[in-house]
Order: sequence, then C-alpha cells, then structure tokens
Amino acid sequence: MHDARDAEDSRLLDANDHTTLLATYYPVILERCKVLVRGPDWIDVAHATVDRLLSELSRGKRYRVPYRVVVHKVIEWKVKEHFTGAPAELELAEWDAAGDNPIEDFERRYYLEGLFATLAARDGEVMRMRYLDLLEPAQIAEALGIEPNAVHQALWRGHRALEETLGE
Amino acid sequence: MNSDVSRLFDEYAVRYSRGERPDARAYLERAGAGAGELAGLIDAFLTRAPAPEPDENTVALMQAWAAGEPPLLALRVRRGLRREAVVDALLAALGLAPEKRAKVARYYHELESGLLDPAAVSRSVFEALGETLRARAADLQSWRARPPEPAAAAFLRAPEPVAAPPAALAPAQPEEEWDEVDELFRGAGPT
Repeated sequence: MHDARDAEDSRLLDANDHTTLLATYYPVILERCKVLVRGPDWIDVAHATVDRLLSELSRGKRYRVPYRVVVHKVIEWKVKEHFTGAPAELELAEWDAAGDNPIEDFERRYYLEGLFATLAARDGEVMRMRYLDLLEPAQIAEALGIEPNAVHQALWRGHRALEETLGE
Repeated sequence: MNSDVSRLFDEYAVRYSRGERPDARAYLERAGAGAGELAGLIDAFLTRAPAPEPDENTVALMQAWAAGEPPLLALRVRRGLRREAVVDALLAALGLAPEKRAKVARYYHELESGLLDPAAVSRSVFEALGETLRARAADLQSWRARPPEPAAAAFLRAPEPVAAPPAALAPAQPEEEWDEVDELFRGAGPT
C-alpha cells in the first residue's frame, strides 16, 4: 500500500536530496518524541533520531521497506534507548535485510489505510473521509446519508481501534 | 475511551493532516488525566499518517543543521538580516528599554551560535524571533546546534558565530544583576 508520500521519498532518495527527505519527517519525529518521551529530554531523543537517519543516508544506505518505516523504526529504537539506557537498535541494514517485516505487517502498522481496512466498512469509510479527505462530520453525514451522531459513533469506534493497536 | 480524549484526538489529527503542525504537548496538557490515553492515540496516528510536504523554512533549517551550521544563523542570513536588525526587533517586540541592548545582543549571539540552551529561553523570545525571521516560533525553538562527529570534528570549519564574541558582546560581568533580560533568555523551564 504505497502512497504518493512513498513515491516522493523514493525520488528524494534517488536524487540524494537527504535534507528535503529529513525535513519532511522532522515534524513527525518531534511530535512522536513529545508523546513517547513526555519529558524535557524529548528534544534530545528527536535530534538523536535525526542524527542517526542522516548518518545512514550519508553512508548511502538504501532500504527494502519504504523510508517512512525506517524513520518510525529509528524513532522507536531511540526512545527505547532513552528509557533503558542501553543501545536498542540493530544496524538498520541488518534489520532491513532480516526479512521479519512482511509487507502485510508494516502496511497495517504504518499506513492509515491499512488500519481502516480492518474496521467495519462504514467505520472505515467515515475514518477515511475524516482523516484523509478532511471532511467535517456534518459533511460526512450528508455524503453517506446518515445521522451526524452515527458519524461521531463511527469515529469513536475508529479511535478505539487505533488505541487497540498500541503495543503491537 | 473518554469522550474528551476522542474529541482532542480528532482535533489534533485533522490539524496535523491539514499540515498545520499542532503541538502535541499542548493537547496532552488539555487532556489532563486522559493525557496518557491521548498520547497513545496520537502516536498510533502519527505512525500511520502520511507526512505532509515540508515547508521552505524546515528544509533550510535542516540543510544548515546537517552541514553542522547553527540553524538560526542560517535562517537570518537567508532573510538577509544583520544581527543588529534582529536585536532591534527583539527589543521592540519584547518591550525592553534601549539600555538593555548590549545584553540582548550578547544573549542573541549565544542563542544563534548554539552556546545558549534554547530550552532555557522564553517562548516570547522565540515568538518575537519568529515574527522577525518569518518562521514558526515552535520550529525555531526545536533546533539545536549539531555536535560535530568526533572523527570529522578536526576538519570542520568552526561556524563564524561560534568564535569568540566581539568585544561589544563580552560575557556578562559577575556583578551584573539578574533582570528581565536574563529571565527571558535563561529563566524558562525545560521545553
């Protein structure tokens, strides 16, 4: 389930435009570190993540998985290192080559569409319209011919489903 | 799930998807006792949401950081502003008296050169800088000077502002009293 973002990331990797690629992911690295670390060290963890990603790119590393997967893996390794005080990461190349990242697993883990596909059809459609098409609940209700309250209920169930993926 | 958490998550996720760069910490604060639950939801969303296109400032700041240059300096140079102009703008925006100019200049030099921890600098300073440098305050606050890689350190040219400050920007005298300028540049808590 590769999307336009993945295609652009591949183009940036091929063009060796590492700074634009990392600038794309900088905001999400900051935000994930804020919610995962939840303390004053979040900024150091974020910068350690960017530093690691830049170092890999500078060495000309390429990956089998989409670049977004690499970014999120490194965030998670760096956050784990922060809390355990011990190195948590495998060499990226080693991890990438290990073959323990089947396509169907990372699609569910790293793509909204992958999550939406696991929901009841109507709930998935409401979530898609809200977070990918960015429609207001009233617009979704009108488009689907349902009550606004049914939209809110579908969103709530979608949020629950998202929450249930934690720790996977 | 608490309905307030669900509502806050919805607001955050829609703003993020629109490319607005909402601050997760502000949402966690609003969530109160539901902060842990909201943090999990936001993280699960961010892991899956496509990253928005980067803006021009973020690319420029990343370029400077990757090259080992102070990002704030790079942005000022990109805007074609002299350091004095930024200091003047800070004085005006922060409502500081003209006699505080030398002290503000010294602190700004330290901040720009990576010698001052941005975590200690007040949000209002970054907001004033954001106005002057036409950048988001939160973006400016998030950058740190990149430490040189040990092996390469000997070969890196020290960025100009890291060199000893000019005489006019001499370090604070020990007898100098703590005032509102110190409070602005050194008094903030961790981010």
